[in-house]
Amino acid sequence: MSVLEVKGLTKSYNGLLAADHIFFTLEEGTATALIGPNGSGKTTTLSMIAGLLKETEGTIKRDFKSGVGFLPQYPHFFPWLTALEFTEMAAKISGVDGKKARQQSVRALEFVGLGSTVNKKTGAFSGGMKQRLGLAQAIVHQPKLLLLDEPVSSLDPTGRREIMNLLKSLQKDTTILYSTHILNDAEEMTDQLLFLKQGKLVEQGSLAEVKSRYAEPKIRLRFETEAAAAAFEERMLWQMRRQRNVIDLPLSENGPTMQQVLEALAHNGNGISGVDRQTASLEEIFHKVVGAK
Amino acid sequence: MNQFGVLLKKEWRENVRNYKLFWIPTVFILLGILEPVTNYFLPQILDSVGNLPEGAVFKFPIPMPEQIIAAIMGQYQFVGLLIIALAYMGTIAGERRSGTATLLYARPLSFSAYFISKWIIASVIALLSVWLGFLAGYYYTYLLFGSVDLMGLVQFMASYSLWILLVVSIVMVSSAMMPNAGLAAAVSLGVIFISQLVDSLLGAYWPVSPMKLPAYAAAWLETAPDLGDFWWSVGVTIVLIALLIVLGIFLSRKRAATTKV
Amino acid sequence: MEEPRLILLLLPVFLIQLGLMIFALVDLIKTPYTNGPKWMWAVIIIVVNIIGPILYFVMGRRNY
Ligand SMILES: Nc1ncnc2c1ncn2[C@@H]1O[C@H](COP(=O)(O)OP(=O)(O)OP(=O)(O)O)[C@@H](O)[C@H]1O
Ligand SMILES: [Mg+2]
Repeated sequence: MSVLEVKGLTKSYNGLLAADHIFFTLEEGTATALIGPNGSGKTTTLSMIAGLLKETEGTIKRDFKSGVGFLPQYPHFFPWLTALEFTEMAAKISGVDGKKARQQSVRALEFVGLGSTVNKKTGAFSGGMKQRLGLAQAIVHQPKLLLLDEPVSSLDPTGRREIMNLLKSLQKDTTILYSTHILNDAEEMTDQLLFLKQGKLVEQGSLAEVKSRYAEPKIRLRFETEAAAAAFEERMLWQMRRQRNVIDLPLSENGPTMQQVLEALAHNGNGISGVDRQTASLEEIFHKVVGAK
Repeated sequence: MNQFGVLLKKEWRENVRNYKLFWIPTVFILLGILEPVTNYFLPQILDSVGNLPEGAVFKFPIPMPEQIIAAIMGQYQFVGLLIIALAYMGTIAGERRSGTATLLYARPLSFSAYFISKWIIASVIALLSVWLGFLAGYYYTYLLFGSVDLMGLVQFMASYSLWILLVVSIVMVSSAMMPNAGLAAAVSLGVIFISQLVDSLLGAYWPVSPMKLPAYAAAWLETAPDLGDFWWSVGVTIVLIALLIVLGIFLSRKRAATTKV
Repeated sequence: MEEPRLILLLLPVFLIQLGLMIFALVDLIKTPYTNGPKWMWAVIIIVVNIIGPILYFVMGRRNY
């Protein structure tokens, strides 16, 4: 069942298309990563889905009853409210009633690691604390759909790990759409990848699909000396790339199989010191898909 | 209804914790006291400055207590309105500009509850300030110049309160309309002062006008304004306030998309 | 009116002014961020009578 259906979503800022006819669907209980360079339209797209920005064209079909939680890229809080007061108010505005609002707020704040600062005024919060509080207010009313704009961008590496794990634990009963620049994170929690470039959705699919499309796996051979590597390169007729003492062999359809490579090494592999099977990282794919101007 | 209560509480907290509940009344009280005090000391002050020619006998007319109360209103009509505008210029525009509104607007927010809660709290504080200011000013006037008719004072304050509600409404609508707090203050003060100016220049042609409310209010201190004109002006002002509230709700919803994400 | 009563009359005015000033200064010290440097606001609050604290509350504090 799809939780959200986006059809031809377009936003024009005086002719500049910040989002340009975007189509995608979010299936229930999945996590979708929205990636793309600065200014590619991630925030614009998320804001339109959150209902904060009016689309120029296109439709957003979502089940409004089930509720949406939104974390902006730079969440900003009333400095004179405490974390608990704010979260409780947010829950109540989303229709959670009195007693439950308090309970759920405390739970959400503890969940994001703000358990010890619930009664601190948000005016004195650091950037990372604000991001955690932003997440708490996004989940406090237990929405079915979570929209997170760079949810871990202000967190330290440990915090990032921690929050990504929390998000993964939420994923069971929540559909998550989040933008990120941290591709390792995207690789870790994603059922669907959406690549944006200058407002256009240039690529989409599961991690495996995208990888198979863009990144041919390769075998990396490491030799003890450059001469040994050069000798191997000369003897074999396969297409390969050599850099000093390292040789990359693409595992493409007309190239050698792993077995053939290993057999070749057994006979001609003098001075071999390492064999690695490598798949391209999401980062390389990112550069390929959206990097080139 | 639940949302309205929540937002009312939020506005109240904002005004308490940003000290508006304290400093705005304090300033109005100070203005209220300073008017009778400076009037009382004016002859002595002029005397001590000593720029009167030696031997010149200058008789200062002693002002009537009613004039002092009306002069306090004169202060409120300029400094007071300025303070109300400055205090509430950012109530919606500022929230949008800083991005604090974003987290509210991303929820199923009732913009009627949003605007009216702000309107109510701002009105309560503005009225509280004006009343406390007049009471303090009246007390000093009574000590230094003598008493005024209490019934007249009550009628005066009640009529002037309606004018203050109109001012608050204009400030709130400007804040809902304008992209930032500074512009909201400029627009609301511009609208108020220019329409007052127009009314004072050409107003002889129309006796029924919200802009005449302060003058009609002051007339209660002496005897009474023309009752027909007065009540018609009150009616028109109430209708205008209602329209401004509707406009404010509409604008805060329409301009919600300008909040910083 | 004789002197002591006059002073009694003026006392509340001074107290209110002083109160406003102290109120603004205490808040200035407690608040984590202001628009513009804190020392500047301290000077404005102390030097400019009545208007100084008002300016601070309206423009110096981060209210939103
Ligand atoms: N209010 C606005 N008025 C005009 N142009 C805007 C506005 N907001 C965004 N844009 C433009 O729209 C484009 C997309 O911006 P958006 O904020 O969606 O990018 P983003 O992918 O979120 O970037 P980042 O990674 O830096 O957060 C940019 O070119 C930006 O300049
Ligand atoms: Mg962005």
